[in-house]
Amino acid sequence: MRAIGSSRLLMAASAVVMLFLYLPLLVMVVMSFNAGASVGLPFTGFSLDWYARLFANTQIMHAIGNSLIVAAGTVAISLPLGVMAAVGLDRYEFPGRAIFRRVVLLPLILPGVITGISLMNFYIINGVRLSLATIIFGQGTALVCVSLTEVYARLQQLGRSQYEAAQDLGAGEIACFVRVILPNIRGAVVGAALISASISLDEIAVTYLLTGRQNTLPMVIWSLLRREATPLVNAAGTLMVVATAVLVTAGLRLSRGGEGESGG
Amino acid sequence: MQAKTRRLAAGFPRATFARMSPEMRQKAMWLLPPAAWFVVFLLVPYLITAYYSFGHMQSYRYVPGFSLANYIRIFSTAPYSGAIAQSAVIGLLTAVFSSLAAYPVAMVMAFCITRPAARSAMYVLVILPWWASYLVKAYAWKTILGPHGILNSLLVDLHLIASPMTILLYNQASVVLTLTYIFTPFAILSIYASLERIPASLLEAAEDLGAGGVQIFWRIILPLSVPGLLAGAVITFALGFGDFVAPALLGGADTLMISTIMINLLGVANDRPLASAIGIIIAGLAFLLIGLMDWAERRVTVRL
Repeated sequence: MRAIGSSRLLMAASAVVMLFLYLPLLVMVVMSFNAGASVGLPFTGFSLDWYARLFANTQIMHAIGNSLIVAAGTVAISLPLGVMAAVGLDRYEFPGRAIFRRVVLLPLILPGVITGISLMNFYIINGVRLSLATIIFGQGTALVCVSLTEVYARLQQLGRSQYEAAQDLGAGEIACFVRVILPNIRGAVVGAALISASISLDEIAVTYLLTGRQNTLPMVIWSLLRREATPLVNAAGTLMVVATAVLVTAGLRLSRGGEGESGG
Repeated sequence: MQAKTRRLAAGFPRATFARMSPEMRQKAMWLLPPAAWFVVFLLVPYLITAYYSFGHMQSYRYVPGFSLANYIRIFSTAPYSGAIAQSAVIGLLTAVFSSLAAYPVAMVMAFCITRPAARSAMYVLVILPWWASYLVKAYAWKTILGPHGILNSLLVDLHLIASPMTILLYNQASVVLTLTYIFTPFAILSIYASLERIPASLLEAAEDLGAGGVQIFWRIILPLSVPGLLAGAVITFALGFGDFVAPALLGGADTLMISTIMINLLGVANDRPLASAIGIIIAGLAFLLIGLMDWAERRVTVRL
């Protein structure tokens, strides 16, 4: 592809776009080490002061704890359901299969506030008080599609010969899953768990409407930001970016062997 | 006789389960739990929201009903219908700008980078900003564009402007810029997924027959990338349309978006029926758009 491959204009344009994607994050990371108290320039000197203050802030530390609980709960709900649905979809034809696939993807396609308000109405009608548990059920439902998509893609690659062989040799359905299918899809399962956890740690729209008295980290940062921009948020933001980068790179590597498809 | 009574006593579900073939039982084992979960925690809540949207509030209590008053109010009262139009404009601008920004990067990924390792690295480079915290990304632009932000301090230090500009932030442009920034990686991945499938032989054939880069782009690459381009643009539009984070952090008086109104209705005003009606309208628009995309894709897509 000489004609396209060597186009300088194309290269220059995409370099500018990549710069556009990274510059704001870079600015934030650099400014989180600023000794001064302003979020902007001048950069008065290197300091870990804002990180120290971040870790000394009990409200934020408490929120990080809550976020981790929510992420763990979300994975505990969405992963088993996603794996079951993926196995079912991979193996069986049934009436309503196409509709089922679409319904599962709804929380991903519809703006989060719609899933949020719907679950909020659902809880109110049933007299459930909003708490961390209500957030977990909301996120857990919304994120089933992540596990489903990752695991389904892996199952499709896997084919059915091993499973059929195991069945012919007399393995029951559960033994078959635990000893034949699961070892083969382990990467996708762990990857889906990591990706779901990182989405959960950052989720706002659903969480916003389902939060009771206990706040998650994005909710606390949100309320900090509504008041004023403080360098504290630079430090928190940097840590969040690093955490997601680690979780997602590990997740993608595990579930797709480093090379990705059209995921997002 | 005895067997029959026993079966009746065992209750209907177990009886049905026992009568199933092993294959049916396995099917039920895998599919019933997730299906039941989705009915209870997704479909029922969506239906409740639809039901709520036909009622109204009276002295802080919900009164069920079957009236279209909420919908009529949304479409005929300026703040609501105006916010829907405003959200559509912002969503559209976001979709257009992020597709434009995404295209060259997707092309470089698909055609210029040939080594698999380099391509994986590029893929990770694109996907990382997409996964970085949404809130953090919106906030990053606030620190850049704000009155004490990086851009203003830089321009003042360089003596290009005398005092910080306030027009950079809290308007429609800053919201569109931020949403474009947030959704560009998604658009890149979506377009790349289409470009990746174009066989190299096709492009080489065109080249051998004397087509230049521009001609190859307009007559082969662009038409074949329509599905990815459309899918990316539609989802970007829908997410931009329903966003409430960017307008809350970076928007101003001219950026009243529909999700913001919906959330405010749930807070102080506590008008859940009206908020539910807005939710149903947003969902309806999203479905309409997805249907439209399916239709357009079937019409425009060139089969290889």
